[in-house]
Amino acid sequence: MKHRMITASLMLAGGLAVFAGTTNIASAGPDTNILNVGIAAPDAGRLDPHLSATTIDKAVFGWMFNGLVRLKPGTASPESVEPDLAESWETSADGLDWTFHLRKGVQCHHGYGELTSADIVYSLNRAADPNRSSFAGDFAAFDKVEAVDPYTVNIVLKNPIPSLLGVLSNYHGGNIVCMKAAEEMGEDFQKRPIGTGPFMYGEYKPQQSLMLVANPDYFRGKPQLDGISYQYVPSDSARDLAFQSGELDMLYGKQDQTWVERTKQIEGAVVHVMEPAEMSVMSLNITSKPLDDIRVRQAIAMAVDREQFMDFKGRDVTRIAKSVVPQGYLGSADMSALMPKHDISGAKALLAEAGYPDGVTLKVIHTALPGMLGTMEVFQAQLAEAGIMLDMEVVEHATFHAQIRKDLSQIVHYSAARFPVADTYLTQFFHSASTVGTPTGITNFSHCAVADKEIEEARVEQDMEKQKQLWKTAQEKIMNEVCGVPIYENLQIWATKTNLDLGYELIGSLSLGPPVTENTHFIK
Amino acid sequence: MLRFVVRRLIFAIPTLLAVMTVVFVLVRIVPGDPAQTILGDQASAEALQNMRERLGVDRPILEQYVEFMGGALVGDWGESMVTGKPVLAEIARVLPYTIELTVVSLIIGGLIGIPLGAWSALHRNEWIDYVTRVGSLLGLSFPAFVSAILMLIVFSIQLRWLPVISGGDRATFGEWAESLALPALNLGLIMAAYITRVTRSSMLGSLGEDYIRTARAKGVPERVVIWRHGMRNALIPVVTVVGLYLGILIGNSVLTEIVFNRPGLGKLIVGALGQRDYTLLQGLMIIYTFVIVIVNLLTDLTYGLIDPRVKYQ
Repeated sequence: MKHRMITASLMLAGGLAVFAGTTNIASAGPDTNILNVGIAAPDAGRLDPHLSATTIDKAVFGWMFNGLVRLKPGTASPESVEPDLAESWETSADGLDWTFHLRKGVQCHHGYGELTSADIVYSLNRAADPNRSSFAGDFAAFDKVEAVDPYTVNIVLKNPIPSLLGVLSNYHGGNIVCMKAAEEMGEDFQKRPIGTGPFMYGEYKPQQSLMLVANPDYFRGKPQLDGISYQYVPSDSARDLAFQSGELDMLYGKQDQTWVERTKQIEGAVVHVMEPAEMSVMSLNITSKPLDDIRVRQAIAMAVDREQFMDFKGRDVTRIAKSVVPQGYLGSADMSALMPKHDISGAKALLAEAGYPDGVTLKVIHTALPGMLGTMEVFQAQLAEAGIMLDMEVVEHATFHAQIRKDLSQIVHYSAARFPVADTYLTQFFHSASTVGTPTGITNFSHCAVADKEIEEARVEQDMEKQKQLWKTAQEKIMNEVCGVPIYENLQIWATKTNLDLGYELIGSLSLGPPVTENTHFIK
Repeated sequence: MLRFVVRRLIFAIPTLLAVMTVVFVLVRIVPGDPAQTILGDQASAEALQNMRERLGVDRPILEQYVEFMGGALVGDWGESMVTGKPVLAEIARVLPYTIELTVVSLIIGGLIGIPLGAWSALHRNEWIDYVTRVGSLLGLSFPAFVSAILMLIVFSIQLRWLPVISGGDRATFGEWAESLALPALNLGLIMAAYITRVTRSSMLGSLGEDYIRTARAKGVPERVVIWRHGMRNALIPVVTVVGLYLGILIGNSVLTEIVFNRPGLGKLIVGALGQRDYTLLQGLMIIYTFVIVIVNLLTDLTYGLIDPRVKYQ
C-alpha cells in the first residue's frame, strides 16, 4: 500500500511538471495578427442583428454588417451620417419618399454573391417583421420598400419620422443581412450570420469565443487585421488579469472610477471614455400621493446634490445631467437653469407648504445591481436630510424590471442609453402612450403627459431648426412639471493596448463597442 | 448487487419527479420575465405580450407543467427560451467539462488529503499535526473564488506559466493539462482540506481500537498495522464525506469555472439565471439532481469494496 502511495505522489508531481512545462504560452502576446477582445458575458446571445439587443452581441454586429448609411466610425451622433451601402440618396419635399442608390460590387460574406436592392428590400422587411425582429417598432412608419432596379431602392413612409437615416444606419434593424443566406438558413442564420462588413463569421465555441475572420472582398479594402477573437469572460477579475497578461488587446470596461484609475496604471493600456451616454433619471410617479403635489416633487429636485454624485461616481466616467434628454443626443437642450440649486431648507419649506411639515415617506423598489444601488443609496441619504424618507426594497435585477412596470415603485431609478435622437428618449420616458401599465407602455414611469403635443409635432417636422425648438419646449415642460429628476450621465468605458491603432478617433459608438474597421491594425 | 443498484435507481425516480416539480414552480415564482430579456427594455407592453404567447409562458401554469413533465420524461427538454438552442444538447455539450474538472479535483484531493490525514494522525499533537490542522482549516474557510484569483495572479501574471483564460481546448494532452491545471488544483486543494480532516479523525479512532493493540502485540510490523488494519477501517467515513462533498464540489465548480473562464455547467447556469431562461434552468437543475443521485449510489457501492462485511440487499 505504501508503494502505491509513493507511486501516486510521483504521478502527481509528474503532472505538475507537465503543467510547468507549458511555460510562457501565456506571455506569447500579439505575435499573431488577431485582435483579442474580452467582453463581460458568459456566452453569446442570438447572433442575428435583427434579434439581439444586448451590448454583448451588438458590438460584434458593428464589425460584421453594414447599413444603407452609417455613422462615421468613432462617432455616435446622427449628424455624422455618411454613405455606406448606399452611395447617395434623395428625398421628396414632404420627407415621405426616399430613393437610395447602391454601391456596386459589394460582396456578401462566404460567397453568397453580390448584394443588390433585393437584399436591401428583404432585409428591411425582415427587420420590420415582429416575428423575425426585435426592432419592428422602429419601422412602424414604413409603408413600402421597393427595388426600382438592381441598384436603386425606394422607401415610402406613411408619415415623416425624425430620423429615417438613423433607422437605416448600421444599427439594430438597419443592419443589412444577405437574402440568400437568411432564406437558406432560416432560424439557423443566427448560428452563421452573413453580412457584408469588414469581418465575417469564422468559428463559434460555446461559452468561450466567437472567431471572426477578415473579409478579403470588403468593399473598402481588405482589413489589415487577420481576424477578431471575441472572448466571453464573465468574471471581472479574470478579464482584467487577462488584459494585464497580454491575452486581451481590447477590454470591456467598468463604469467605475477606481477601475479606470487602476487600468490606466497598466503598462501599455489606454482607457477610452465614449458616447453615447447612459443617463440616470429618477422618474417620479406624478399620479401617486404625495408626489401628485408638484411642491413635493420640487422639494425632491431641490434636495438633490449633483456635485456629491460626481464625487461618488468619479469625474472620469460621469458628467452632470443637464436635461431629461442626455447631452450629445440630437435635440438635447441645456436645462440647467430649470434645475433648482441644492437647498435643504428650501426643500423643507416646500414640503411644509404642501402640508407635510414632518416630511414624507415614499415606497421605492430598486435593483440590487451594485452600480445602480450605490447611486440610489446616495440619493436616499440626500433626500433624508430634507425629511423625505425612502422605504426602499432591494430586489434582483430582472425582478426590478418586472415590478417597476407594474407601477409598484413611486420613484424609479432608470439608467439607459438610446438611439441618440431626442425623440426616442422623450417618447419612451415621457410620452403618455408609453406609460407603464398600458398596452403601448414602455418606460414612462412618471405618467408624464405634459409634452405629448410637442413630441408628436417634432416627429413630423421637416425643418430641423423648428424640430429642435419643439424638442426644447418639450424638455422645458417636462422639467417644469418635475416628471423626472436627471442626475448624471455615465459614459461607455473600454480599454485597448497602446500598440493597437483603431484607425479613427474614438468619441463614441452606437454599437456600444469600439468599431473595428479595415484600417484597424497593430503597430509593430 | 445488481438488484441493489436497480432498486436504488427506481427509488431515485420519485426524488427526480419531486425535484422537477419544485424546480418548475420555483423558477416561475421568482419575479422576472424572459420576454423582457429577449426583447430588451425598449419593447412595448404589446410586443412583450406577443413574445410571452410565443414562448408559451402566458398559458395556465398547470398546462405548462403537464407539457414540461411529459416532454422531460420522453427526453424532450425543450429549447432555451433565450437562445432557442435545444436544452439537452446545450447541457450535453458542456457537461463533460464540468465532470472532468470535478473528477480530477477529487483525485488531487484524495492524493493529498488521505496521506496527509494519516500522517497527521500518526504524529498526533506533534508540530506536523498542528501545521496540517491549521492548513486544512485554512483550506476549508477559504472561498474558492478568492483562492482562484490568487492562483491566477501567481501563476499567470507573476510567473506567466499558464494563460488566464483557460479555454478548455482538448486537442492535445498539453492543451488539456494547461486548461485544467489551475481550476483542478484550486478545487483539489479545497477537497484535500476536507479529506485531510476526516481521514485524521477517523484514523485516530481506528488506531485506538482493540484489534490494533492485538496486532501490535502479535508482532505485526508497524507498516502493516497502520495501512492494512488502521487505514482500511478508517476509510469508510472518508468515502462518505467524499460522496457528500462531491455535491459541494460541483457547487464550487460553478465559481471556479467562471473565474478561470472554463466552459461548463457553471457558466450555463449563471447565464440562464440572469436571463430567466426557464427551460434551460429546469434542465440544469434536473441534471444536478441526477448527478447527486448517481454519486450517492456510487458512494454506497464503494463501501462494499472497502469493507467486505457490507452487503447489498
